[in-house]
Amino acid sequence: MKRACKSALLLVLLLLLVPPQVAGLPATRLTVLHVNDFHGHLLPDFNKTIDGISPVGGAARLARMVADERAKNPDGVLLLSAGDMFQGTPISNVFHGRSVMDFMNYLKFDAMALGNHEFDWGTDILRQLAAAASFPFLAANLQDLHGEELPPIKSHILLERKGIKLAVIGITTPDTAFTTQPRNVAGLIFQQPAAILPPLVQELRASGADLIAVLSHSGLDADLAIAAEVSGIDLIIGGHSHTVVTEPLCVNRTIIVQAGSNGAYLGVLELEIDPSTHKIVDFSRKNELKPVLSAPADPVEEKAAAIVARFNKQIKAAFARTVGETAVDLIRNPGTESNVGNLLADAFREASGADLALLNGGSIRTDIRKGKITLEQVYTLLPFDNQIVTMDLSGAQIRQILEQNASSTHKKLQVSGLTVRYDLTQPAGRQAVEIQVGGQPLEDVRTYRMATNDFLAAGGDAYTTFKAGANLVYGDLVRDVFSAYLERKSPVRPQIENRIEITKP
Amino acid sequence: MNMTLTVFVNDQPVTIYRGMQVKHALIALNESLYQAAVAGELQIEDRHGFQVDLEGALQEGSRIFTKAKPEE
Repeated sequence: MKRACKSALLLVLLLLLVPPQVAGLPATRLTVLHVNDFHGHLLPDFNKTIDGISPVGGAARLARMVADERAKNPDGVLLLSAGDMFQGTPISNVFHGRSVMDFMNYLKFDAMALGNHEFDWGTDILRQLAAAASFPFLAANLQDLHGEELPPIKSHILLERKGIKLAVIGITTPDTAFTTQPRNVAGLIFQQPAAILPPLVQELRASGADLIAVLSHSGLDADLAIAAEVSGIDLIIGGHSHTVVTEPLCVNRTIIVQAGSNGAYLGVLELEIDPSTHKIVDFSRKNELKPVLSAPADPVEEKAAAIVARFNKQIKAAFARTVGETAVDLIRNPGTESNVGNLLADAFREASGADLALLNGGSIRTDIRKGKITLEQVYTLLPFDNQIVTMDLSGAQIRQILEQNASSTHKKLQVSGLTVRYDLTQPAGRQAVEIQVGGQPLEDVRTYRMATNDFLAAGGDAYTTFKAGANLVYGDLVRDVFSAYLERKSPVRPQIENRIEITKP
Repeated sequence: MNMTLTVFVNDQPVTIYRGMQVKHALIALNESLYQAAVAGELQIEDRHGFQVDLEGALQEGSRIFTKAKPEE
């Protein structure tokens, strides 16, 4: 990498010595502004800081920074996004990304690559967002089963600034196919970038593109591999790995940048372009990322602030919306079965169609009193951005998990589709004395479909057996699943049903 | 396609499901690392020394490192 960058630097220095000066023309300066993995962060994050003082991010401050950069280089600025713009905060999620869309339209983005999270609400919502956008959504490696593009999503766009023709190609991570709720990507094919890029780069060059940029929602390591494998790409503007690439990387003359996540940085890539050859002769090597600091004294763009304020006002009403009703108090119980645990585990199991569901008691963060349940209460109950995952486990593995649960200091796993009797007078490893799934004794050699959350699936609370599942499928966010369950089933009246019985010494 | 990835946290191999993120790799290795990162006591860097956040995507062979957050 270092050798490649040095070679590129040498080339740049040589080029700097020749064409523009010989021709007596100054280099053409283009500014590529870029963000990625914004994840709905229209509001500043008061829990994070870069300089130790100021809140980070926020659309109003970001908009002002974009305006300032545009003022410095009129007619020479592009504004691009490498994807995952919408999903992630209440002010975006509640409106299915429409708030971020309005902001992006206001800011006059030129193009956006599709990120994997753009599929979180299904292709209908994605198409609605794309139709509402004043700029194209790009994904050259996305096709339907007939090998066709998925209108209105395009593979690339041609832009022109100061006489320089720039082709921008979108790439979305092929992992989307299996890290997204299957129904949201049904009928879609995500091709490997290295398979589709070479002919497309060649075609765009042949059609007159001076520069080729790839907006890549693939992650930094994948972008480095693309740059190494595919020649002819001038820029890769990346996302997905949420990497704060403070100094652009360079592989085989391809410049690679990425601007962290959550709107904490604005990427400002200055390109010096030879006016006769239209080749890049230099670029900003230091301080390419500008922190988006939102201290009270930092100037904001008032119209962007008004867009955010409009949706922020609506979010209060959206959070006050009743999503369901409970006829009984929903009460946690860390030591054993709880009615709220039963309710949540039932929602997991129904949403996934699994034989059983297991969830950690620590994921349930409040009690809810009898009566109407608002969306705000659902967020308070389930504050973590956990996702449902479903996997195959053997009966023996389920038994192992429950045995560990019997002696664990963590809160008891909440269950659905399963009953367990713990006898704590027995030695450790033999305390889950009676386990039934669907009313039948657990069979060690049988495979069961089990729903849980991504925290436990990663081995959280030291339950390493969850990491040994097979045929894992990602589902929706737990909060969304629970809200939908309440909307269907209310009024709910979950009871203690002796799903968990404990004999204490 | 393999359903799991091997990534490296502080040079220790960790197996996670494909599609999981930095936070899951920390949880898989040692949940206290995850808790410290959430509390802002640790920051996570990739093999280039660039910061990544807990929701960052990983791929086969990714290497991340936990670092004490510098005094501000």
